[in-house]
Amino acid sequence: MLNTLTQAFALITTWEVIVAMLAASVYGLVIGSLPGLSATMATALLVPVTFYLSPIAAIATIVAASTMAIFAGDIPGALLRIPGTPASAAYADEAYAMTRKGEAELALGAGVWFSAVGGIAGTLSLMILAPPLAEIALSFSTFEYFWLAFLGLMCATLVARSSPVKAIASMFIGLLVACIGIENPGGVPRFTFGMTNLFGGIEPIPALVGVFAVAQVMRAMLTPEPPPIPRRKFGSILAGQWKLTKKYNWQMTRGNIIGIIIGVLPGAGADMAAWVSYAMSKRFSKEPEKFGTGHVEGLVEAGASNNASIASGWVPSLLFGIPGDTIAAIAIGVLYMKGLNPGPTLFTEKASSMYAIYLMFIIANIIMIPLGIVMIRLASYVLRAPRSTVMPVIMLCCAVGSFAIGNNIFGVVIVATFGVIGYVMEENGYPVAAMVLGIVMGTMIEQSFVTSLIKSDGSVFPFFERPIAAILAALAIGALIWPVLVWVWRRLKRTPAPATSAG
Amino acid sequence: MRLPDRVTGLFLVGLGAAAAYGGWQLPPVPGQPVGPNVFPLVIGSGLALCGLAIAFGIGRSFEEEEHLIPVEGDQPQPPTGKLYGLRALLPPALLLFYVAIADRLGFILTATLIVYVTATALGARWKVALPLAVLAPIGIHLIFSKLLRVPLPPGVLPMPW
Repeated sequence: MLNTLTQAFALITTWEVIVAMLAASVYGLVIGSLPGLSATMATALLVPVTFYLSPIAAIATIVAASTMAIFAGDIPGALLRIPGTPASAAYADEAYAMTRKGEAELALGAGVWFSAVGGIAGTLSLMILAPPLAEIALSFSTFEYFWLAFLGLMCATLVARSSPVKAIASMFIGLLVACIGIENPGGVPRFTFGMTNLFGGIEPIPALVGVFAVAQVMRAMLTPEPPPIPRRKFGSILAGQWKLTKKYNWQMTRGNIIGIIIGVLPGAGADMAAWVSYAMSKRFSKEPEKFGTGHVEGLVEAGASNNASIASGWVPSLLFGIPGDTIAAIAIGVLYMKGLNPGPTLFTEKASSMYAIYLMFIIANIIMIPLGIVMIRLASYVLRAPRSTVMPVIMLCCAVGSFAIGNNIFGVVIVATFGVIGYVMEENGYPVAAMVLGIVMGTMIEQSFVTSLIKSDGSVFPFFERPIAAILAALAIGALIWPVLVWVWRRLKRTPAPATSAG
Repeated sequence: MRLPDRVTGLFLVGLGAAAAYGGWQLPPVPGQPVGPNVFPLVIGSGLALCGLAIAFGIGRSFEEEEHLIPVEGDQPQPPTGKLYGLRALLPPALLLFYVAIADRLGFILTATLIVYVTATALGARWKVALPLAVLAPIGIHLIFSKLLRVPLPPGVLPMPW
């Protein structure tokens, strides 16, 4: 244990890792704080760069950029009432109300301080939860893997803030995309329409870049530019945070726990954690009437929650290769690329790398405090960058980055296509995150499904015979049919209503 | 681009049916009951069912809370002409333009065009757009071609490094 820890330290104290981490932190802070550029997009555009780094440095950039971006989203939320990332949307109104009351320092300070606390709590959960879960996971067969992956997809559809039917449809679209290529049980070209470029299948990363970056530029074409930020001088950012920590200790802890739970759930990520925690904070507060008027309590809880979910989102990713959220989906891609294939054995065979990941999370959350304060002070300048100069550069990064992933110009075509698909889906209420998870998990789900079917000789019953498989199956199927049940129930309730009014 | 649910739903029914049919046509692995044909069949059928449900409006009632991002009330409304919506297609069109032309024209010149057009479309004046269009491609080229060794097409204007 101590030996592994020393090895892990040696792994992360190289110049490459330190420089990569610092650069990625600054990058994450800037992208996260620009409205309309999300944390997922920041991470996705980073992937081509990670190709050329050592495994640990590559993961360091992902960890640092995603952690920073989630916090940085609070900055324009508080100053402009425009959340920088969806994860800050839950409490942007509250933070802006505080700024109007002249408490911008307190709001932003709470953002950086409780984000750091939440991030560290999430990391601790990752350290504590992952190894024992890995022990259990070692005895999993393809049946359990199939249901687990399926349950993960179902969670992604349940937490989407949209119609569950559309979310499930999005998931199926993603799985269908994953069907493309020759990487299937028979090794025959499937849905390739004779195009050689499609034989290798659709890589998740270009699809992600398209859905999250190109679609965002497309949206920018049609929406008015956000107002420029008023220049202001900030007082001490961290003043009063310790008092808040003591006063709202329980809220902070509750936020951390909720964030960890939501992060561990496959498919549900930081934005969901923030919404749930903010709602909980209001529900259980002693002074709920103050919410919405610039009250810091909800900020504490939700800010702690969304950062806690980032680290705990790595639990299912590292153990099963099932992403906890879209950022983790990118991380999984990078892990595979770097030979750190997710799975329970990762914790025994590559223990030092795992410890290095924990350490990097902790370091990222600690350096977030000073870097975050600098960023808050510079925000008036950074946020002045007009959208018309940022978006063109994003476009170039999309083009070059998607080409760099496979040195194949076809990657750019995929990015453009998925930009359109993502844009149209989002406009019509189909959550793109569910599709992305479908693309990432498609091959795995098909393999475990078909292998299980072959093992069971085409029968469905063995899918439910092992105890853990049965439990997972019950959960997944429940998640699949509940929207239908709710719909039927509402129908039944509504039918008698006109009858009584008529009579 | 907001389409009625009936249209998207029926489109998904078609897509799902096509996928299921296409999957069903694939040859199974010899000697095995299942092969590459099963998964598309299941997915396609599921998608078609979802499409039907959407077309009939099941689950609509969940869509209330869709507007996540609060918008300031006093912002100017964007003009709503028929062609205005097509502006959204500009970014993917530019990317396809890059695919088509980058090999012949080279990265720098293609990128300059892309940046200039995007910046102008987003409302930048030429005083801003022009320097950006010259500098951004050079910066990106430095990072990706020099530092990360991505073989970007040199075209007619190769960079000195």
